[in-house]
Amino acid sequence: MSAKKLLAVLIMAAFASTAFAHKASDSFLYVDMDASGIRFDIALRDLALLVPLDANGDQRITGQELRAQRTLATQTVENAITLTSEQGACKLRGQAWGLSSHSDGPYLATQYRIDCPNGELPEQIEYTLLFDQDSLHRGLVEITAGETRSLTVLSPDKPVVDLTGGAMGAWSTFGTFLYEGIVHLLIGLDHMLFLLVLVLPATLINRRQSNQDSTRSLKSRLLQLAGIVTAFTVAHSITLALSALNIVRLPIAWVETVIALSIAVAALNVVWPFLGRKTWKLAFAFGLIHGFGFASVLGDLTGGVSNLALALAGFNLGVEVGQLGLLIIGFPLLYAMAHVRAYQRFIVPLILMGVGIVSLMWVAERAGAI
Amino acid sequence: MMYSDRTPSHRTQTSLHPVFSLPALRRGGAFWIGFGLLGVLCSSAVMAAPSPIQSDFDDDTVLVTLPASAPANDGVPSSPEATAREIQRLISEARRSGDPRFLGYAERLFNQQASQDLNDPLLVLRATLAQSLHRFDAARQDLKTVLDRSDAPAQRAQALLTLANIEMVQGQYDRAGPLCEQLTTEYPGLIASSCHAQVAARTGSAKVAYDELATATRSLSNVSIQGFLWAQGTLGDIAAQLGQNSAAGHWQRVLSQDPDDLYTRAQLADWYLQNENPRQALVLTEGYEAVDSLAVIRAIALHRVNHPDAPALASRLRERFDEALWRGSMLHQRDLSRFELDIEQRPGAALQHAMANWASQREPLDTRLALRAALAAQDKAALGRLQEWLKQQNQTDARYPEAS
Repeated sequence: MSAKKLLAVLIMAAFASTAFAHKASDSFLYVDMDASGIRFDIALRDLALLVPLDANGDQRITGQELRAQRTLATQTVENAITLTSEQGACKLRGQAWGLSSHSDGPYLATQYRIDCPNGELPEQIEYTLLFDQDSLHRGLVEITAGETRSLTVLSPDKPVVDLTGGAMGAWSTFGTFLYEGIVHLLIGLDHMLFLLVLVLPATLINRRQSNQDSTRSLKSRLLQLAGIVTAFTVAHSITLALSALNIVRLPIAWVETVIALSIAVAALNVVWPFLGRKTWKLAFAFGLIHGFGFASVLGDLTGGVSNLALALAGFNLGVEVGQLGLLIIGFPLLYAMAHVRAYQRFIVPLILMGVGIVSLMWVAERAGAI
Repeated sequence: MMYSDRTPSHRTQTSLHPVFSLPALRRGGAFWIGFGLLGVLCSSAVMAAPSPIQSDFDDDTVLVTLPASAPANDGVPSSPEATAREIQRLISEARRSGDPRFLGYAERLFNQQASQDLNDPLLVLRATLAQSLHRFDAARQDLKTVLDRSDAPAQRAQALLTLANIEMVQGQYDRAGPLCEQLTTEYPGLIASSCHAQVAARTGSAKVAYDELATATRSLSNVSIQGFLWAQGTLGDIAAQLGQNSAAGHWQRVLSQDPDDLYTRAQLADWYLQNENPRQALVLTEGYEAVDSLAVIRAIALHRVNHPDAPALASRLRERFDEALWRGSMLHQRDLSRFELDIEQRPGAALQHAMANWASQREPLDTRLALRAALAAQDKAALGRLQEWLKQQNQTDARYPEAS
């Protein structure tokens, strides 16, 4: 017995010895959008309802009996699966034929290449096998496109599935990433703390200022604030784009550590302006590094997303919306508090100290990961 | 009664608890089901790559043995009676073997008929099928139609019993009670007495219910085998609720008559497991690995005795549940939840499935699982909901001391 044949026998022995599960009937369709291929697995038991596999009627199907019905089995399967592209029906070109196994026993597995008109990719699949025999039968579909894998189910009520559904529509891409951007800013405590530290100087009241100056002072404060936020935004948009488009990549552990450090430095700078009083410059410089931080999150989300530019725009806008929302709520609060004497003396130092300690802890923690 | 005398076991006809199940999307359950599915879709490890295609297989090897009772493939049965017989055969086969494919074959026969053409026996069968698929509301509707329009004692008794069971399974004891009452009037005997005993036991009077049913079992002469087995199954359940060792004896009596009563087999195996007797649980579940409920109990028992086969069975179950989750609808949440809790040790996932299951099924073992999962996941809100409901029903059970 050749080694190959021995292997086959051993596999069959494994099939025979396992107690197979009882489960509702499923077939498996693995669609590979990158290679334009499809693999189809159907339980031999289910196939026997459609094709007279058991030639001698002994309730047992042998390898020979299966081989004898190969043509009919293949035809039956191919008639029940329809793949179409924009230009029309696609053809299935057989590549491999044999056995596989799932939790309830042996399956017939066929691998096809999908040939669509003009070499297009298939857009949808229709599946009708076995629904007339077993109304609980389902086609379980896995669609692989790039790094995304999506799972779906074909049923008598829904025999057609859109294969490009895995790639989101433009609006839904934009909306999803807008949302992700907002969420990331709001749950990313480090960006929020950095923003807080940047905004604090704009809330401080110079007690020596005369009263008539105070209106002008509010206006200039808002201008100052707008400058800071714009600088931060412009900076992180630049690096976020550079990183998302794969033009510049920095090691994430370094980025995270520098982000943590930037918060501590910015806090220190409020008390002792060793980097100057032009906070917007600080915001811009550190905004660059925060952009790389956003990019790492975006990178985790965009696997398989076809329209990266749109995703990027949505995410960036989301971050801005989150930022603006925070300022609209946070700045008036801080500004109101600024009129309390204790604000400048105790609250601001306490905030700065707290932020400083937290960020230095992050620095230690993140540096460990480098 | 249409099929009380012909079917091999009372459990087959009344089946308090189908062996396989679908999550019924009921209010309250939808949240947990959605939550559970979300978790599944988010986890990247849902499906491993399919096994490779093996083109080189031997001609003489038997690849698969087909079930002897495959559906008749010669089109639509000739008469309503022939259709009913075939459907009944398929449903019985599904319950006997725990193989849900037969339910799909049965449903296909219904799909070939116009709904308004279904006579009373077919409506009762369709309700039974719906119950097996956990479509409880659809089942209720068909059964109520039969009870409203039929005078045939056999159909009425069958419909009453099935409806009472559905209410019982869903924990609607105030609705089950009057149905048992009506059953006593129309079809007196041990099955009706069991119906009463079950409702009483789950609403605070377990001891009295047990004693009365035990007395009735002894005093009634000329009892049908179905009635006797049905009462034994009920006595076993109430004894377990009371924490009495006699539970095992009652269930063994059922199994000795009907080894394919998968529900009773699972109850007894579970009882052994709970009473620190995993080896007995292994004996009972041997050869039943195909059935999810028994396979999960077996996997836990193997794990407890440190059996070398434990990881292999756990891994097969994992594949089964992964496929079932992908499929989405055809899943026994109770078994999956238990697998998550006792094998995978993921109390969070276990709780999601336990609560989704509990939204539609509130039998003692469903409630116990939900309580255990809530405790393990330290979810006070879920625990509170369960305890509150048990308090409202005045239900106590030795199988879940966690309740108080």
